[in-house]
Amino acid sequence: MGPTAPQPTLNRLRQTLAEIDPSNAPRLAGAERLIGLADPIDRALGGGLACGALHELAPTAPINLGATSGFALAIAARASGHRRQVLWVTTDYAAGEGGGPYGPGLDLFGMASARLLMLRVPKPVDVLWAMEEALRCRALACVIAEMTSEGAVADLTATRRLALAAREGISAQNSGLGLLIRHKITDMPSAAATRWEIAPALSQPDAYGGIGRARFDLSLRKNRRGPSGRWIIEWDHHERAFQPALSVGVAAPALDRPDRAPLVRAG
Amino acid sequence: MWLRRLSTDRIERRSSERVETFVVVASIKGAQRITGLTDGAARLGLKVGMGLADARARYPKLPVVEADPEADRRLLEGVADWCDRYTPLVGLDAPDGLLLDVAGCAHLFGGEAALARDLVTRLTQQGLRARVAVADTVGCAWGIARYGKPGIIPRGETKAAVLPLPIAALRVEAETVADLKTSGLTCVADLDARPRAPFAARFGKSLLLRLDQALGAIDEPITPRLPLPAAMAEQRFPEPIARETDVLGTIEHLGRQLVPALDRRGEGGRLFQTALFRADGKVHRLEIGTGSPLRDPARIRKLFEERLAVLGDACDPGFGYDMVRLSALVTERCDPVQTGLAGSDHAEELAHLIDRFGARFGLRRVSRLVPQDTHIPEYAAAAVPAHAIKQVPSAPSSLIEQDSLASVRPVRLFERPELIEATAQVPDGPPISFQWRHIRHQIIHAEGPERIALEWWHDDQGNQLTRDYFRVESKAGARAWLYREGLYERETPNPRWYLHGLFA
Repeated sequence: MGPTAPQPTLNRLRQTLAEIDPSNAPRLAGAERLIGLADPIDRALGGGLACGALHELAPTAPINLGATSGFALAIAARASGHRRQVLWVTTDYAAGEGGGPYGPGLDLFGMASARLLMLRVPKPVDVLWAMEEALRCRALACVIAEMTSEGAVADLTATRRLALAAREGISAQNSGLGLLIRHKITDMPSAAATRWEIAPALSQPDAYGGIGRARFDLSLRKNRRGPSGRWIIEWDHHERAFQPALSVGVAAPALDRPDRAPLVRAG
Repeated sequence: MWLRRLSTDRIERRSSERVETFVVVASIKGAQRITGLTDGAARLGLKVGMGLADARARYPKLPVVEADPEADRRLLEGVADWCDRYTPLVGLDAPDGLLLDVAGCAHLFGGEAALARDLVTRLTQQGLRARVAVADTVGCAWGIARYGKPGIIPRGETKAAVLPLPIAALRVEAETVADLKTSGLTCVADLDARPRAPFAARFGKSLLLRLDQALGAIDEPITPRLPLPAAMAEQRFPEPIARETDVLGTIEHLGRQLVPALDRRGEGGRLFQTALFRADGKVHRLEIGTGSPLRDPARIRKLFEERLAVLGDACDPGFGYDMVRLSALVTERCDPVQTGLAGSDHAEELAHLIDRFGARFGLRRVSRLVPQDTHIPEYAAAAVPAHAIKQVPSAPSSLIEQDSLASVRPVRLFERPELIEATAQVPDGPPISFQWRHIRHQIIHAEGPERIALEWWHDDQGNQLTRDYFRVESKAGARAWLYREGLYERETPNPRWYLHGLFA
């Protein structure tokens, strides 16, 4: 933590260290905190999912809300390490419509439910307010917020505020990681650093033909610092790490292309 | 303090035109009787308790208003709230009196006489006629306010003041007063001069108790309407303040006065209340609760800021507040904690964030999932308000055995299981497809059944059915938690299917 700018090697070492014990990471001054996902994705993201930023997630179909929540919780589990807390903000309506995080399920998934703080607010605008406040709080490793349908209140202005709060959060030695789950895919402009469309992928059955580990079919539709793409990765809840499962093409068309081709989704 | 014309004052305050003479009537024991009247009506010779028919016989055009004891009570409580500005110890003396314990507060208003004057003046401005007496005992003040010359009874002159009063001033029943009158006893002095035993035998103990209470021989406490705060601080303004920032600034300022008092007791506040006394007599009370003992004025201010932001128009300052009081209603031991130099765990910051969420949305809305000792899925994790949890449990106490690579419990659970259409090859076999929210999903993997019978003590109607849970994976990879309600043929001929949760 010297006054001089850290050398690249040192930075990389710190990054490795942060992945082993994320709770140590926020004390690294100067080094940008990144949450490592899986190899190919990290390359596209420039090392990993950036902290101090807002990321948007949306399911490709209503039933994929489970996979979307799972992906968000997996990121939160990686960001929070063994000690730090995660906040989940939702509205009464969203909870009635799509249910909410389930304690025993979270524990089995690798995200300790004891470290999850739940906030239920009456209106979608309250979600924005609560998320902004929470992003500035140093005690939280990750803030997950949920909005029904497209989440129209989280427009460009609102997301810009959230992104700023997240950036402010990281300067206060916080991870400032904000995940915004919209229940429906949207083309609305947003200040988020990345935007993901999430579907589950068929799992690799175990030796007895049972359902295997959770697999995600991730489409990175928007990426401020690199190419978009599509990957299939698997979550190992025991190691709390993603593993690449099967790659399907790396360069998907950019979302904001004027003559947008209809999306093709693999089963 | 006696509001001698409470019900007529209430009506006069409301009505636009001025009617000098009218009475309030209620039906008592089947007859319409006068329960309240204006000064004008009193001058005509009408009295409380007189039958309406008698009054009408004398004055056929007498205006009459129906009594509303509930509204009278509300008004009295409103006045009691307002009187909180003089002392926190305000007791209701229904139907038309208030008891204020001003011991130790009178000097703040320039003495007892000045306080009583101020009280009467302000009440008169609000259209309420009041008679105020200040005395050493509740009984004496009560009697003087109603039957004597209102004013201050100096210390030690209680007996001299009470003795000339009529016996009705002792707060005894009308029948007792009438009985004593027939024996020629009309004032308290008559009573006090005679042997006590015969009175006790004839009228019971209550008469002598009242006498002793009035004379100060027996102590009589005032029962306060509102809980007494552990510590409080207040600020008065010659000019009412109305701006939110001023109010918040005042709260922080009061917080700085309150904290040393809490510090001395080694305590912090768990429940704070701000009372905003509006210039026109209305009192707004805002309360905030905290998760851990708090004694930081800036944080107290921040919490009230959230509270005010939500209340918005519900807390209308009108012409402004002329007094603000901050009190700590509930306090708790608060030992100073050594904070690490690195400030590593930020626990305090999180506690403050939880408090702010609580102040804005209600403390029940910030919760944690606490594992419960039950195998019924929807009860296995309870959302417990975060402020009620002292220690965050470190290790999950999972009851469920993980028997496969995939999680056996979903990450998302619906509050209410959703009815779906599912088909199975055999009625008690695993499903092969299901339709949820108008979309059909083909199942290629199904694991189960995991049979969960409801606990018998939850079986209130005697028709709780056994559930067979299946973990299924659709062709597209969507993983869901379904169950069939009821064992085929043994419990029900047509088992229904539900979707209960979604896996990652």
